Amino acid sequence: MYDKEKDAIGAFLRGEMDRRALIRRLGGLGMTAASAGTLYNMMASNALAADFDWQKHKGKSVKLLLNKHPYTDAMIANLPAFKELTGMDVSYDIFPEDVYFDKVTAALSSRSSEYDAFMTGAYMTWTYGPAGWIVDHNEWINDPSKTNPNYNWDDMLEGVRKSCAWNGVPGGELGSDDAKQWCIPWGYEQNNLTFNAAMFEKAGVKVPTNLDEMLEAAAAVQAGNDGVYGIGVRGSRSWATIHPGFLSAYANFGESDLSNDGGKLSAAMNTPGSKEFHAKWVKMIQESGASDWSTHTWYQVGTDLGAGKSAMIFDADILGYFMNGGENAMAGQLQFAPFAANPAASAPTPNIWIWSLAMTKFSKDLDATWYFMQWASGPEHGLFGATEMDFVNPVRKSVWDSDLFRERLNKNYPGYVEMHDVSAPGASIKFTAQPLFFDLTTEWAATLQRMVANEVPVDEGLDQLAQSMNSQLSEAGLR
Amino acid sequence: MTDTVMTRRRQFISPRMLPYVLSLPALIVCIGILIPFVTAIYYSLQRYRMSQPWNREMNWGENYVRFLTDADFWNTLKVSLVYAGSTVVLELLLGLAIALLLKKRSRVNNFISIMLLLPLMTAPALAALMFKLMTNPNFGILSYFMQVVGFDDFRWGSSPDTALFTVILVDIWVYTPFMMILLLAGLRSLPTQPFEAAALDGVPQLEQFWRITLPMLMPYILTAALFRLLDSIQQFDIIYAMTQGGPGDTLMVFQVEAYLNFFQSTNVGRSAALLLILWAITYVLSNIFVKNWLRLRERAKGGA
Amino acid sequence: MDHTSFLERWFRRVALSIIVIFFMFPIFWIVLMSLQTNETILRSPPSMSFVPTFDNYLAILAGRLDSNVASMGINFVNNLMNSIILSVCSVAVALCLGVPAAYAFARHKFKGSEDIAFTLLSFRFAPPLLVLLPLTLYFQEIGLADTYLGLVWVYQLICLPLILWIVRGYFEDISPDIEYAYRIAGHSWFSTFRKIALPLAGPGIAAAGLLAFIFAWNNFIFALVLASADKQPVTVGALAFVTASGIQYGQIAAAIVLSIAPTLALALWAQKYLVEGLSLGAVKG
Repeated sequence: MYDKEKDAIGAFLRGEMDRRALIRRLGGLGMTAASAGTLYNMMASNALAADFDWQKHKGKSVKLLLNKHPYTDAMIANLPAFKELTGMDVSYDIFPEDVYFDKVTAALSSRSSEYDAFMTGAYMTWTYGPAGWIVDHNEWINDPSKTNPNYNWDDMLEGVRKSCAWNGVPGGELGSDDAKQWCIPWGYEQNNLTFNAAMFEKAGVKVPTNLDEMLEAAAAVQAGNDGVYGIGVRGSRSWATIHPGFLSAYANFGESDLSNDGGKLSAAMNTPGSKEFHAKWVKMIQESGASDWSTHTWYQVGTDLGAGKSAMIFDADILGYFMNGGENAMAGQLQFAPFAANPAASAPTPNIWIWSLAMTKFSKDLDATWYFMQWASGPEHGLFGATEMDFVNPVRKSVWDSDLFRERLNKNYPGYVEMHDVSAPGASIKFTAQPLFFDLTTEWAATLQRMVANEVPVDEGLDQLAQSMNSQLSEAGLR
Repeated sequence: MTDTVMTRRRQFISPRMLPYVLSLPALIVCIGILIPFVTAIYYSLQRYRMSQPWNREMNWGENYVRFLTDADFWNTLKVSLVYAGSTVVLELLLGLAIALLLKKRSRVNNFISIMLLLPLMTAPALAALMFKLMTNPNFGILSYFMQVVGFDDFRWGSSPDTALFTVILVDIWVYTPFMMILLLAGLRSLPTQPFEAAALDGVPQLEQFWRITLPMLMPYILTAALFRLLDSIQQFDIIYAMTQGGPGDTLMVFQVEAYLNFFQSTNVGRSAALLLILWAITYVLSNIFVKNWLRLRERAKGGA
Repeated sequence: MDHTSFLERWFRRVALSIIVIFFMFPIFWIVLMSLQTNETILRSPPSMSFVPTFDNYLAILAGRLDSNVASMGINFVNNLMNSIILSVCSVAVALCLGVPAAYAFARHKFKGSEDIAFTLLSFRFAPPLLVLLPLTLYFQEIGLADTYLGLVWVYQLICLPLILWIVRGYFEDISPDIEYAYRIAGHSWFSTFRKIALPLAGPGIAAAGLLAFIFAWNNFIFALVLASADKQPVTVGALAFVTASGIQYGQIAAAIVLSIAPTLALALWAQKYLVEGLSLGAVKG
């Protein structure tokens, strides 16, 4: 079964055939893209097996705690390849995002050994790491007897890789030399512009290239299209309101959330520069944001764009990516652009969200779990996911360099690859790593809501916020 | 005298111990539950965030003292009281009205009161989901009704202005039948002579209601209201399923806030302190309730 | 005189109609939704004319769900099974523990009996999270995490006080003379309890058991905090289902209908008992 196909893939792996020829050849043999990908992956994995004992943990089983996400779908679609490669079994529980992180906290805080590894964001590891619930993955990455030679850790984008590493000291720089690798990047999101080209054209508006232009463009495109609001950004009372477009633009002006004075942290959002930025952002939402902005999570921001209710979003690039496909009314009409809010800045500085994988400290067999981890975050699965499924944005340079992947994106997602290339060098986590992250950032969002609702003037609101944050930092012994 | 005691001894196995033996299993099961309660008191006296294990220490009530100047706490208290107060009052009025309408025993009335049991038998969390579907801006039937009557942009649970109204509506839908059942039972158990006498004297219906029905029904009203108040101030299911406490902190009632404190900011100390304050409130209320209820039961037994 | 009563009659009819519509409409509408495809649900203005389809129910029972992002497996049938297991076991345990205790409290006013009875009742009124949150930290250590046993135990917080207090009321209403006469005839305490007290309090035990079953079924917070994915009952499962499926509204409605159907059916079947139980002993059985 599949002998001809195996020959063709073998030829490709030996370098006798280029990718396009391979795809043509497999297509001619009547294989669907998906099964070709699985087969390719099995073969590629088999090639790897020669140099590394993938079967060492044969018969063992790993249990995962997963969030409902396209990344998860891509991984599950490719799981047979892992099982074949290692002889291990994988089971999993999947929860929707609303309750997912509560489930993670519940499992970890109770020191449950039920799950061996789970999906997480880098911010969450600032809680899990110091609490002693997850491991420093460096121990496995740097051990050649446990990690396959083709894993190529340095292939991971540097900003992303470092953003997942922290030394555990409140305010400590991410990716410093003494940092612990709390999680392994899996897929990530930059925050940039996704816009509805037809609406922009109809209103005669150009794509904005800085914050002032964005305010004007949002107002103009709203005025030029009936029943459409200018710009979608998140607004719910949650830390997640701060981290996408808002913080990306904020950081572009050189502002930061906290200042670190020799290990003592203080709120830093009451500077004149920060106040000016906040005032503009608030004005933008009041003039051209959604009428129910204060309830918007990424979900509403995305669906409004996809349904043609908003003209652009300053949010995760992959949100735009998904709204440009599937059954969305605006599928195929969206375009992408990098965005640097500060006219004086040379390039965008997107804050990033990194879906990562982490092993729990309570796993009964970390070495076996690491086999899953290195496979799931390895180059083969990355390529499979990115080309056959919706595993964007990949975290590996080699995948971004893949012609197959670039072509696929260029065909259906105009400007996406270019946007990524322009903003990737400046992409990293812009928050200060510290254990009160969720409390303080949520309060920041709450203050933003009050300022947008005109309940408090911007400068007064920020002074109050800084004061409240400082008192919480003091109470927690961080200031 | 000694004789009877002796007979009893022969008949039962250690009569003095019997009640303890009978209630012991139930007690043991519940005492297991007392342990976490004590643990919660202990946590509430600590500075305890799971994200900073090195910082964990006893701070002897500082968590409580901080509440005094904590705007979020006062908001939580306010939202909880407004929620509990308005649901109980509205359900009481509505339940009383329905009970009065259904007072006469007839086939139709009995049928209706059985129908009204159904909302009460629906899980509150699921009822919230039903209303969430019905208030969906794209196809929700209630959103459509609102448009028909001229509110084009009525956003129900997703707007801070109407979120409280929306969850209260769900609460009313689920729990009014409870009030109705209890008050109907009360109404039907009232003695008939005072009413007959009043009718003979030509006392108008409305005055009969104020001067006879209401005072006689008062114990039932109190019991029902207290019972609902105890539940309502702890509301979690409806609010969590509908909005998880949002938008903003509009619906941050005690248990939702404590839940999020525990699972999202891993601030165990604050979460435990919040819950203990809620417990103190419910403890006082439940004492009053039980006294009322026992009196009511005595009366029901005596009256029949 | 005639005129007012005519007005009054109409007022009554109108008022009762409004009440019935308000309380019945949501259930009616959800059932309608569950029989429609997404296209007919999304029509504007909403309309009642459609060809009913059972596809939503079939999809749920088959466990396959297609959403706009991907097709996913969803095990709602498993949630239904969990609800049945948890509710039935909890009520069974609560009856075994609660009925003898209720009898003890009713018949034997022993030292501290009122205090103990009140303590047990006060569990019903304590904030559930107060107990649940520390329990999450304990359960792992004693091996009860993610077991039916652990959940059934915690469910006693709902079921036990209910059974204890309702059944106690019924035992108190039975005259002790009957039991005394039977015992004089030379029967043991246990056979008196079994042959006399239990049958006489039967309706009360049935009412309490049914109510406890419904409250256990409808419980949300206990399982939300303590149950993992494969132990979740329908209340928690339905919430997860809503966010996971996103826009398959017909299937969400069908899932809700399947989740509430058992308690509603029980309510219609045993309404007399339920009304007695719900009246908190304020009416005579």
